[in-house]
Amino acid sequence: MNTIADITDTVQKTPADRPNDEGHLGLWLSLPAQLLVLFIAVFPILMQIYISLTDWSPLDGIGWWRAWELWNSFANYTDLAQDNRFWSALLRTLLVMVVCVPVEFLLGLGLAVLFVDEFPGRRFLYSVLLIPMMVVPAVAGYMFFMLFQSGGPINDILAFFVGQPVKIAWLSDPDLALIAVMVADIWQWTPLMFLILLAGLVGVPEDQQRAATLLGASWWRRFITIVLPRMKTIMIIALAIRVIENFKIFDTLFIMTGGGPGVATETISVYIYKVTQQELIWGYVAAIALAILITLSIVSAYAIRHVSSPEADT
Amino acid sequence: MQRSAGYEALRFGLILLFVALTLIPTLWMVSMAFKPIAEWSATGSDLTWWPKNPTWDNFAFIFGQSSSELIVSLDRTAGRPILASLLSASFGTVIAMVAGTTAAYGLSRFGSGANLPLALIQLRLFPPMAVMIPVMIMWAFLGLTDTWWGLALIYGIVTLPFAFWLMKTFFDDMPREIEDAALVEGCSRFRVFVKITLPMMRPALASSALFVFILNWSDYLIALLLTTRDWVTIPVYMASLSSSMTGQLYGAKAALGLIAAVPPVIMGIAIQKHLVRGLTFGALKE
Amino acid sequence: MTEIRLSNLGKDFASFTALADMNMTIADGEFMALLGPSGCGKSTTMNMIAGMLEPTTGSIEFDGRDVRGVPMARRGVGFVFQNYAIFTHMTVWDNLAYGLKARGTPRAEVARRVEETASLLQLSPLLKRRASGLSVNILQRLAIGRSAIVEPAIFLLDEPLSNVDAAFRAVMRTELKQLQRQFKQTMIYVTHDQLEAMTMADRIAVMDHGKLLQVGTPLDVYNNPQNTFVAGFLGSPGMNLMQGHVRQDGSSTAVDFGAHGSITVSDTAIEAAAAKSDGRVQFGFRPEAAAPSQDGALRFPVNFIERIGSRTIVHLGDPDNAIKIIVANQTELPRVGEVLSLDITKGSERFFEIESGQAVGRQSDGLH
Repeated sequence: MNTIADITDTVQKTPADRPNDEGHLGLWLSLPAQLLVLFIAVFPILMQIYISLTDWSPLDGIGWWRAWELWNSFANYTDLAQDNRFWSALLRTLLVMVVCVPVEFLLGLGLAVLFVDEFPGRRFLYSVLLIPMMVVPAVAGYMFFMLFQSGGPINDILAFFVGQPVKIAWLSDPDLALIAVMVADIWQWTPLMFLILLAGLVGVPEDQQRAATLLGASWWRRFITIVLPRMKTIMIIALAIRVIENFKIFDTLFIMTGGGPGVATETISVYIYKVTQQELIWGYVAAIALAILITLSIVSAYAIRHVSSPEADT
Repeated sequence: MQRSAGYEALRFGLILLFVALTLIPTLWMVSMAFKPIAEWSATGSDLTWWPKNPTWDNFAFIFGQSSSELIVSLDRTAGRPILASLLSASFGTVIAMVAGTTAAYGLSRFGSGANLPLALIQLRLFPPMAVMIPVMIMWAFLGLTDTWWGLALIYGIVTLPFAFWLMKTFFDDMPREIEDAALVEGCSRFRVFVKITLPMMRPALASSALFVFILNWSDYLIALLLTTRDWVTIPVYMASLSSSMTGQLYGAKAALGLIAAVPPVIMGIAIQKHLVRGLTFGALKE
Repeated sequence: MTEIRLSNLGKDFASFTALADMNMTIADGEFMALLGPSGCGKSTTMNMIAGMLEPTTGSIEFDGRDVRGVPMARRGVGFVFQNYAIFTHMTVWDNLAYGLKARGTPRAEVARRVEETASLLQLSPLLKRRASGLSVNILQRLAIGRSAIVEPAIFLLDEPLSNVDAAFRAVMRTELKQLQRQFKQTMIYVTHDQLEAMTMADRIAVMDHGKLLQVGTPLDVYNNPQNTFVAGFLGSPGMNLMQGHVRQDGSSTAVDFGAHGSITVSDTAIEAAAAKSDGRVQFGFRPEAAAPSQDGALRFPVNFIERIGSRTIVHLGDPDNAIKIIVANQTELPRVGEVLSLDITKGSERFFEIESGQAVGRQSDGLH
């Protein structure tokens, strides 16, 4: 029987036998990416799970596949629960995040507000303000390493305000080193907040703001009741990006302090790095890494479900 | 909108303050790169904001020329690390762009690989440090440790999410009528992709590639773990300059830092209008 | 509740003059339409009244008080935007309450007045709803209610119907007119749609190229256009215009259109106007003021016939004198190519000077 569906089917197929051809081509096109993801996700994770249940170390002289000889069940995980250095590194990482991300957000938002209206030189200064986020983080770390030397320019500037020589040893003082590290992070990543939030601010409909003004709203009221709610999604994106990236903090910090003095600036990434490179107990590192991966997966799944609200406003 | 002169003055004052805070650290490194050794660690009243006797010595030094003032000599010059950075970042970009572009096109036009968007975001979510143990083992097993191609491979994977998401939003934005017209003419899908879509996408491809290159070029941690000697990259080499020498080689490191910092800054400014799109995984387009 | 007086109002953007030398008084409680094609200066005028733009020259007075320099938040102007600019992230209630809250009105009072306005506009059942996804006529009512609730002295409406599809416009026009009667406020309505202006406004101000051309009641502006632009812009199709020579025909004066015939006139002003440009004058008549007749004064060949449902438009003449007439549907239609002779309804002939395009003789009620 010749139904209409049959006819339209044949008509659509004419240009190069579409459905089949396209299905295969699509699979082929996504194959390289799929393979890379498999290569970096599935096999390494399985290997990581395996090694994390052993005491294996590259120094043992046996291949990783024979790690079962050093099977220790869940000892790595029970050790981790009692590893004070790990927990304080985790807390320190969260502390850095809780300080840096809001400061970067507020500075970036303030700067975006200053830039939302046209002024002469706006485009040029905009580019200048984006420079920090493009500087290689390790180089940025080195910049701040120099700046925070006890004979460096930061003390020099402080001396100018105080009126007498300042010799603060920023990077070798356990309390100050963390502050120095956070200053560097804020310097480098405020521009990212600025960039994203300015794009959001420019997108707030002008008519709405005018309507609010005509109804007698002050600048501040307009900002709170119209501009910020309209930027909600964008603010969440900006914050999420920085929370994720800040959690990984390593390059700048490691160049500046190497995690020291002592463990004063040791974050999660630095801690794992040290255990990997210096103590070489890879079975334990794998356990730490897995614990973090699992925690992050749960947190992110929760965040994606609860933060991305269904009511998307245009 | 009319605003008071006081507000405008305040606004300009604040903007200039931000610009100054942005520039001072950068300029300090630039200044340091041109300072002779005598001015490197001058402090207090001797501290010089701008080199009194600017010199190219620091640059000459890192490329192997020992100067009269710098008695130490380097066992390795900066040439090879620069080459390592260039090779690994470039080929890493090629890998990410090829896999990312094809997969993005497949998803955008045929809906294939629907798992990729989320999988790749998760890949970006995890700290590299938390997956490096198996990678180090695998790389050693495959003989990829301390090679530029081994670095290129991991760079390609790490920046794949950005290449994929950027290209996906560019493909989604592209009108399909042109492709459809070519299909009706009888071109095969693949031919249309290669002969029509990709050439049209050249600006988007260039911006995405530059973006990915900046990310690869900026890496420190991965190179720190996967290279040891022959193919260390600029940041690793730079960090090693101080640990192997007696005292800090401020000027030399600043010169090297400047060399490392200039390309991404120029590229970043060149692709400014796509930065928001890239950094937010295409969620925001400017 | 306010009279608005614009004196010598002008606005330049760099070297471009958006508005020049505008003089107009809008009476208290009047519904005034600013009508003209895009770029005529109507929106510029309104934005200056609202305070979004500062005039380059001239002044704006509300009840005799110069408002130049008064920020828009304190002019007491209600503004309905083209897209309504409803705060879609808020509820209907919050939208209505916005202006009152911004003014620091006590809570109880806010609640009372929101209820009041909502019931007046039949928005009461929707108060808890989010304002996104409401239909366009509800958005219009909400936009008006949101402005009206703070009791502005003046209401400005910026093409509020331009985003509405044609079928719905008639409904919205009626509703808008009713709302104006309810609120009894001075309203200025900017539009490029003559139908909106004609049906709703008390008076219409026709503008073009930054100039005010004519102000008057809809009928007056329609019947007595003061220049050829207004004549051609109003009406659909607009007034027919053709050039003729004034000559003495024995004791009477006639305007001669060569092969197309001639008409006799009795107004000496026409001769005076013609004297300014070699005896030529522009003659105008409305398409509905001409009817085919056995031996009419004017004769034109029929070019084509356009049926638009209730009426039929007959296109006549040659490229220099393209004439359209409207005939009822039942009329026996002429054939294409046939020469049709037309009678012009007595009293509906209009004349304009060739150079200036200004109307001759019969004047409208004037600019004020």
